Amino acid sequence: MTLLELDSVSVHYGRIRAVHNLSLTVGEGEIVALIGANGAGKTTTMRAISGIRPVSGGKIIFNGEDITRMRGEKRVERGIAQSPEGRRIFPGMTVLENLDMGAYARKDKDGIAEDLERVFELFPRLAERKDQAGGTMSGGEQQMLAIGRALMARPKLLLLDEPSMGLAPQYIQQIFRIITEINEQGTTVLLVEQNAQQALARSHRAYVLETGEIVKAGTGKELLADPSVKEAYLGVG
Amino acid sequence: MHHVVSSAHILAQESDSWINTDTFIDLFWANTIGGLEYGSIYALIALGYTLVYGVLKLLNFAHSEVFIYGAYATWFTFFLLGFRPGPTPELATGELIAFLLLAVVVAMLVSGTTALVLERVAYRPLRNRGAPRLAFLITAIGASLVLQQILFLWRGGNAEQAIRLLRPETLFTVGSASIQNLTIIIVVASILMWLVADTFVNRTRFGRGIRAVAQDPETATLMGVNKERIIMLTFVVGGLLAGAAALFYMMKIPQGAQYNGGFLLGIKAFAAAVLGGIGNLRGALLGGLLLGVIENHGQALFGGEWRDVVAFVLLVLVLMFRPTGILGESLGKARV
Repeated sequence: MTLLELDSVSVHYGRIRAVHNLSLTVGEGEIVALIGANGAGKTTTMRAISGIRPVSGGKIIFNGEDITRMRGEKRVERGIAQSPEGRRIFPGMTVLENLDMGAYARKDKDGIAEDLERVFELFPRLAERKDQAGGTMSGGEQQMLAIGRALMARPKLLLLDEPSMGLAPQYIQQIFRIITEINEQGTTVLLVEQNAQQALARSHRAYVLETGEIVKAGTGKELLADPSVKEAYLGVG
Repeated sequence: MHHVVSSAHILAQESDSWINTDTFIDLFWANTIGGLEYGSIYALIALGYTLVYGVLKLLNFAHSEVFIYGAYATWFTFFLLGFRPGPTPELATGELIAFLLLAVVVAMLVSGTTALVLERVAYRPLRNRGAPRLAFLITAIGASLVLQQILFLWRGGNAEQAIRLLRPETLFTVGSASIQNLTIIIVVASILMWLVADTFVNRTRFGRGIRAVAQDPETATLMGVNKERIIMLTFVVGGLLAGAAALFYMMKIPQGAQYNGGFLLGIKAFAAAVLGGIGNLRGALLGGLLLGVIENHGQALFGGEWRDVVAFVLLVLVLMFRPTGILGESLGKARV
């Protein structure tokens, strides 16, 4: 079943077109990757899905409901959570407070406590540092916190924007392993990545974005084997 | 020769009286305590500036009118309770407490509502249009004048005549300072109000929403925070605190309800907020108390006409050497 559908979505920054007629679908239970170079429109697409960037055309359907004009905070209640590009940890809040922020839209205390346990299981480092200010953590720890915070919303759809950016290699492996684990526990994932190798290997399906338009789509394996993808994004050939 | 000596003598005398250290020392305790009294009122008003600045990066100049509307509300509450300008009535303690509580509730409601209306009518339309920062600032000044003129058209240019419910009585003395019942009420109640505000911002869900919007509005939206609701709430909280400050002010200065009476107090409270570190709740408290005390001592040293100058010179000096204020600016880091 389709959980998220973008139907010919366009986004403009002033007169500059960042995303043009973009259509994609994310099925329930999938990991879908969106790969492409810097400035291809990946982050803009994520922002449009979360409702913090208005679309200039097209429709966004989530769980059968048209959310194109819905306010961003309402989309969180519907089940869309995002770990944004650059992590965007609240610097003056502790780790625990940051995680609580993730559950801001929820009222089920028991469920929140359960999810906090689950996040601490996935990222034991966060449990160790729960009273530390978010702004004082390392990049890798902040990335874990950003993903953990998004999970605290108990989302149907988890949007991850560049989860591996700026991380040391051992963290990158760990983050991708955890993304698979989160997905296996039942959360649908839409992933934006510059690390195409890892993203394609971990995802069921993927789209290639170039200057705001989708130029290729397929399963992760197909795209990994595709010569033009190899040349442009995998640093081979 | 004789002439020169005598004018040097006069000069020496003049410089003697220009910095009046004797008065400073004699009245040290009186001025310190009196400064804390004024300072705690500044601090409560400063919280409103700091909260709104933290969330919107807006200098809400009309906050001084939010405060003065509370002062009028206090006066009218007293008036409608049947009190009139003139000698302080004899009231049983229970009655007195009930009347003051009623007045503070009315003042808080009036100031809170004024702040809410101000946000809705003046600032929200600008936000919806994505207006530049400067437009907000001009609007704030304009709103301040409009709110003043409404009072002027309604009540005229003169201050309302003093209505006093609580007769100031000296309870005990500390050095040169006589500690009055009024002093205790104002300082203790203000610090309690500050504590409530600090707890609200740091320990509650809505407070966390306020801090989230202050630190990163866009990410706050990604967490499901309704930014518009948080902005509204922030104005209301600032208004409620200004209303409480208004009652304390009217107890201290019963003739304080005048259409433009909020201006200087508002500017000083704003200075206090900047002094402590704008956007920082603890900074507002510290800045308010410091400003109150220092301007009193400045008055003792340099004379009454220098009182306000001392306050603003202090502000300029702090900004020159520490632009973020004493405690630094950050609503979110208020706890850390």
